[in-house]
Parts: sequence; structure tokens; C-alpha cells
Amino acid sequence: MSNQFVRSMKNVVKGYSSTQVLVRNATANEGTGPNIDLLADIAEKTYDSADFFEIMDMLDKRLNDKGKYWKHIAKSLTVLDYLVRFGSENCVLWCKENLYLIKTLTEFRYEDENSGGVDQGQIIRVKAKELTALLMDDERLREERRLNNR
Amino acid sequence: MGRGAGDLSKAVKKACSIEETAPKRKHVRACIVYTWDTHSSKEFFHILKNSTLFNDPVQLFKMLTLIHKVIQEGHPSALIEGIRNRSWIKSLARMSDGENMRMHGDGDGYDRLIRKYVEFLVQKLNFHAHHRGFRNGTFEYKEYISLISINDLDQGYETILQLMALQDQVDEFSNFVFASINRGANNDLKISSLVPLISESYGIYKFITSMVRAINTQLDDDGVLDLLKEKVEQQHLRLFEFYADCSSIKLLSSLVTIPKLPRDPPNLTAQLDVVPQT
Repeated sequence: MSNQFVRSMKNVVKGYSSTQVLVRNATANEGTGPNIDLLADIAEKTYDSADFFEIMDMLDKRLNDKGKYWKHIAKSLTVLDYLVRFGSENCVLWCKENLYLIKTLTEFRYEDENSGGVDQGQIIRVKAKELTALLMDDERLREERRLNNR
Repeated sequence: MGRGAGDLSKAVKKACSIEETAPKRKHVRACIVYTWDTHSSKEFFHILKNSTLFNDPVQLFKMLTLIHKVIQEGHPSALIEGIRNRSWIKSLARMSDGENMRMHGDGDGYDRLIRKYVEFLVQKLNFHAHHRGFRNGTFEYKEYISLISINDLDQGYETILQLMALQDQVDEFSNFVFASINRGANNDLKISSLVPLISESYGIYKFITSMVRAINTQLDDDGVLDLLKEKVEQQHLRLFEFYADCSSIKLLSSLVTIPKLPRDPPNLTAQLDVVPQT
């Protein structure tokens, strides 16, 4: 509860736009994954070029966050994966251009003291690997996007 | 994590810290991402050369794994800069000869590994210098390379032989690493140097098998390629064992997907390319 409150304060203080707030909510440091309505909202906004850059800038920040915030990274990968499938064509181009950001996460590691040395990186490694494979397979990507946009 | 030039030298320093642990991925990644962000690796090598990281065997060994990683995963400019800096890398082997080196209790044993690693890196860079077609540090499979080699069989044959020599070098170095792992001690750093070798050897393996196959379909005369095929089988077996050894190390198997090769060597006469999937 207080986390959400702090975040909404930060959103105001740092002057984030409504689009950036959406992305920040979708990739927040909380237990649950981003819900589908939120993802669809963000995907819808990627068709507007001003919104698009705001979204991608925020995701870029989140992807390069510290290990402690591994949830930011995991959720950003979830959002990117959704955008690549359902967002504008620009999302695909951006991801390909910045593939190294995603690819270098395939060896991500983070061990938490709280979780007793459990490696939280597994989920990120798997997500990064899958997203990289999808982005490198043009045919599969085209087919997925064709089916999704009907 | 910041992404400016000052942060790069911080990341290099932290990736090559004096503790005998695996270099932190976070800092290695920062170096890799920097080369992509700026499309240049000059700064990265500049920082390494002006550092004092080679006075300690642990730090020097870490630096070599860092260089290897950046060449593999960094912007293509990292490979070019690496080729340019071959003689400097070669000189690092001499640093481990003792006099300049601060020795400490458990730090020795690294000098042999360092020499072997340098030898491998230099051979790798020599290979890339002669075969500009392989623009990628990890030997990611590209169709056109095998097409080029069937158009010029002599050159293709030569390339395969050199790839095989490189694979031998990987094999030799990994054996050194396994031999240096001792019971009870902290082996994370040594083990972490196997990570880039796994992807490298698999990439080379895929290239060799598909190139031999491609040449095989071009040449009717079977006898010519017997030597190559025999060598492929030998290397297949050794690679199979290497991956089996790696799979038994938990740190490795949880971190990277270790390719699973079939027990039998690949069928080199098959027309269709059936490269095993990762």
C-alpha cells in the first residue's frame, strides 16, 4: 500500500506524463505481473509517436535497473514481449535496434539475502532468452503479429 | 546503473576486483552495453591498458574473461579493437611470469591458466583477422558463410582446418580449467571462465558440421574428406564430454543452457541441414 503511495508521489514530483505513469505501474516492484488491460493500454499508445518514445525510454531505464529491482527487469521484459506482439511496428524496430539490451540479460543473476540465496535471475534469463529468440526469427514474428492484428 | 564513460571505468574496475570470485555479471554487462551504446570499444581497451589490473593474477585472469565476454557479446567494434590489440594481449602472458606478479597464497595456479587463456584469445583474434566473414564474436550461425566456402573449396577447406584448430584450443584450455579446480577451495572464478567457452565451442561446432556437410555435397569423391570427417568425430566426442562435465557443475547448468549433443557424431553426408537446436 505504502509503496503505491510513494510511487504516486514520485510520479507527481518527477513530473512523469500519464503514459510514463502507465509504464511505471506496469513494471512496479510488486508481486503480481502487469495485468492484461494495462498491457493493452500501453500497446495502444505505441501507435502515437510521442507516447512511443516515452514508453521506450522508461522501459530502457527499467531494463538497466539494479539487480535488487529484478522485478522491474522481469516485468519490463513481459511488457516488451507484449508490445512486440501487439504494439506498433516501431516496437519491433526498437527492440531489434536495442537487442543487446535484452540479449545481455540472458546471463542475469541476482541472489537475495531475504530469499536465502535463491537465485531470482532464472525468470529473467528465461524471458530474455525467449524474447531474443522471437526477435531473431522474422518469420515467426511476422506470423504472430499477423494473427494478433486481426 | 549509469551509462557514461566514467561509469565504464568504474564497471571495469568492479568487474576485475581483487577478490577471487566470478566477475559480477552486472559490471560485465555494463561494459558490453557501453560498446553498443557508443558503437565503439576504443574507450574500453583504453581503460584496460591504463589500469593496474595486471599486477595481480586473480585480477589479470578476471580481465581476460572480461575481454573475452566483451568481444563475444559487445558491438562488432570490440572484435576489431581486439584484433588491433593482439600484441598487447599477447604481452599479458609475460606479466604472469612471476617477477612482476604479486603472489599470494591461493593465487598461484593462475599463471598457467593465464598463459593458456592468452594463447587461446590470440589464436581466436588471429582467426577473425584472417576471416572477416565471421563478424561475430560468438560464431553465430550464418548461412552465407557456408555458401562462400562451397564456391571456393580450397578456401573452405582451409577455413575448416583453422576452425578445428581453434576448437582444439578451446578444448585444451577447458581441460586446464578443470584440472585446476580443487576440492574445497573457491572455484567460482575458474568455473566462470567456462561460460564463454560453452557458447564459443558450440558456435564453432555448428559451423564446422554445416561447412563440412556443404562441401560434402559439392564433392563426389568421398576419399578427399575422410581426414576431415575423422577429425569431426574426434572433436564431437570431446565436446560431448566437455558438455557432460559442465552439466555436472550446478553453477554452470543453472546459468546457461548447456547444449546437449547426441552421443553419436553427426551424419555428415545428410543433404538437409539438421543442426541441433539449443
